Amino acid sequence: MPQEAILEMKGIEIQFPGVKALDKVDFTLNKGEIHALLGENGAGKSTLIKCLTGVHHMDAGKILLDGEEIVPTSPQDAIKMGISTVFQEVNLCQNLSVAENIFVGRQPMKRHQIDWKELNRRAAALMSRFHLDIDVTRPLSYYSTAIQQMVSIARAVDIQAKILILDEPTSSLDENEVQLLFEVMRELKADGMGIIFITHFLDQVFAVSDRLTILRNGHLIGTFQASEISKLELVTQMIGKDMDVIFNLKRAEVADDAPYTLTASRIGAPGVISSVSLNLKKGELMGFAGLLGSGRTETAEMFFGIGHPTTGEITMDGQPVSFREPCDAIAKRIAFCPEDRKRDGIIGDLSIRENIMLAVQARKGFMHPMSHQEQSELAEKYIKLLGIATPNAEKKVGELSGGNQQKVILARWMATDPEVLILDEPTRGIDVGAKAEIQRLMLEMCGEGVSVIFISSELDEIIRCSNRIVVMRDREKVGEVDGESCTQQTILNIIAGGAKEGEEAV
Amino acid sequence: MKKKKFSLSDLMRSKITWAVIAELLILLVCFIIRPEFFSISYQPTTGMLYGSLIDILNRSAEITIIAMGMTLVIALGGTDLSVGALVAVSGAIALKFLRWDVSAYPTPGDYTIYPFVLVLLVPLAVCTLMGLFNGVMIANVGMQPIIATLILMVAGRGVAQILTNGKQFTTLYTPFRFIGQGSLFCLPMPIVISAIVVAAVALFTRKTAFGTMVESVGINPSASRLSGINAKAVILIVFALTGLLSGIAGLIYSSRIMSNDSNNAGLNYEMDAILAVVIGGTNMSGGKFSLAGTVIGSIIIRTIVTFVYYFGIVSEATMAFKALIIAVVIVLQSEPAREWFAKRAKNRQDRMSAAVKGDA
Repeated sequence: MPQEAILEMKGIEIQFPGVKALDKVDFTLNKGEIHALLGENGAGKSTLIKCLTGVHHMDAGKILLDGEEIVPTSPQDAIKMGISTVFQEVNLCQNLSVAENIFVGRQPMKRHQIDWKELNRRAAALMSRFHLDIDVTRPLSYYSTAIQQMVSIARAVDIQAKILILDEPTSSLDENEVQLLFEVMRELKADGMGIIFITHFLDQVFAVSDRLTILRNGHLIGTFQASEISKLELVTQMIGKDMDVIFNLKRAEVADDAPYTLTASRIGAPGVISSVSLNLKKGELMGFAGLLGSGRTETAEMFFGIGHPTTGEITMDGQPVSFREPCDAIAKRIAFCPEDRKRDGIIGDLSIRENIMLAVQARKGFMHPMSHQEQSELAEKYIKLLGIATPNAEKKVGELSGGNQQKVILARWMATDPEVLILDEPTRGIDVGAKAEIQRLMLEMCGEGVSVIFISSELDEIIRCSNRIVVMRDREKVGEVDGESCTQQTILNIIAGGAKEGEEAV
Repeated sequence: MKKKKFSLSDLMRSKITWAVIAELLILLVCFIIRPEFFSISYQPTTGMLYGSLIDILNRSAEITIIAMGMTLVIALGGTDLSVGALVAVSGAIALKFLRWDVSAYPTPGDYTIYPFVLVLLVPLAVCTLMGLFNGVMIANVGMQPIIATLILMVAGRGVAQILTNGKQFTTLYTPFRFIGQGSLFCLPMPIVISAIVVAAVALFTRKTAFGTMVESVGINPSASRLSGINAKAVILIVFALTGLLSGIAGLIYSSRIMSNDSNNAGLNYEMDAILAVVIGGTNMSGGKFSLAGTVIGSIIIRTIVTFVYYFGIVSEATMAFKALIIAVVIVLQSEPAREWFAKRAKNRQDRMSAAVKGDA
């Protein structure tokens, strides 16, 4: 591999009001290299990227692209220089076709008109390079988030990029899709492109990166060969303290004769899930494992009045229940942290205080308002308890970081004093430190007698926390394993089709 | 606890500040041209105060009342185009119940065959139901508010025509006249009614949690539903309330003319109400709302119209003039303009505090 630097950033400094966002940070990207950029939220990763793409202006330092000094002034400017960025959220137009999205602004022309044939042909060719055989004339909204993500990468790559920046590209992809993305990344790398890869998934860092650079609080901690650093060391470097928190989590203790709080017997709805049975004990943490789209979320939604089972029965504390709307489930003290924090979780323009009190207030009904004093006390209590980083309770939730937003939503539900807490991907897209805290909180709540359903795509965190794990595939429950004694391999085998329901894997 | 430090730049960033400034500027121009604009006199025969300022408040009553509902509708991220038509419906029903026995009395006078209670309650009930219909179309059928309310905007005046067989009725019934032309505490009744409505809506939204729920649903409907808010109920209540308020405005309007006018009653009120809300600082895309801002917005609109009448600007130019002033107000309130003024204010404050430090 030629060790030729395509991008050099030297002594980058950026000053924000009251805080030094980046302090003398060096970063070098080689040709044909995948370089992971790591750090907690607020460590300066995005600031560094925004500096490279011309969103922020450096106070000191310089950027060399192919040995020549550049000063990007805007994202468009950066794209012209060959620096393309794909963001976590898909930045495309949902109502345009895939092909239009790829070529918007630079459509092939013929006699002053858009050459649609050529446009679609080229788009299809490009997508097939990504091993995707899709109809490029369909609107983007027709396809899954994963494919949309691929489209935005295809678009970025097709703009003659020398450097591709992928900011959390995998957070909405399932395992297969991630592998597909990695394959594409490796191909691009073989073509000599330099790729900067930002992610919170440490396994993915090791799977695909050549080198990695760690930032903490705006400082450069170091650049390492991926093969020469252990995961533990990496995490320790990232948070700057020992990882006892993560690795010493204690599983919830559930007595054998603990009563069942929530049970489902053979619940199903056509095209959603079929015949899922489970029983959740008081104070137990039950993990839901399975690929994206395996029916994990859909099953959980049945317990919260979002989805409605057409067959089977749900009982709570032994009584059959049916929920028409989420408010019915909340009245029975069920709580649900949804997967898509932005779309279904936070009310961005409302304050932390209002966001935290919302579910409690909704259950009381609007005619029984909580006083401002009560609301503030509630908010202050959970800000302290969960360590939400904010100057005060009146800050808008939309202005918080992802991890803190997640804590606000968790606070909203803890405030309702739930009996069953359902968490759908609560740790996605947040940094290691916040992740560990949320896992700790989850287990603490189990200790207080709350039953928790924990959905996650990360097998290691499911195994680390769960008492029992329900494994799902193709909208069916395909197995249930004991959390204490199982390994990732057991679960992967079940997902791959090794065991059927009823067989207790050991 | 220490109170938050007063900051001029925060004040400059607020849209309401600019609405107030715009209103004061218009009044200032009036004062310069003709100071009598501000004179208020007491008329002992009617027991009422008179003057241009009173007139502004009096004549803005209908829009203020409707705009209270419109504020909540817009906070939900919608619009209600049917309010003007409901004003006509309300008037038509009221006048229908103010019929009298024509064989006994050949001319209009102080009589009615139905109890006065019905004259008030039936129009309000019908308008509330029509508002509820809007709500059902939006919350249960899933139509977009602008389309759903377009139905009644078009159909409403037709209904009013049918109810009155296309005729224009008149009445001289005294209790009915009181609504639009009477007075209480020396103030014209429309001012009193609008003040009561503003107070009631403010209490309902801010003393209960209803306002927060409206904002929550307006900002993020999906997250609100998952937090246990019954978004459908919120939408139904807001649209039914707007219907009721349009009905009240309709009674005031028809009492002013002591007649029904299915074609012109409440004409373009939906636009004025939306405008009042927007000038008042509530964002058309929904979310945080300000009832106080809306009241100021409504007063600004009426001040402009009064200004035009008072100074005898040719009536052909009225609309253009109104549009011009409103354009200036909206530009003053725009994000870039407010940022610019806020920055200036901040710089000045910084310079001043620097100077104070320098002195010390």
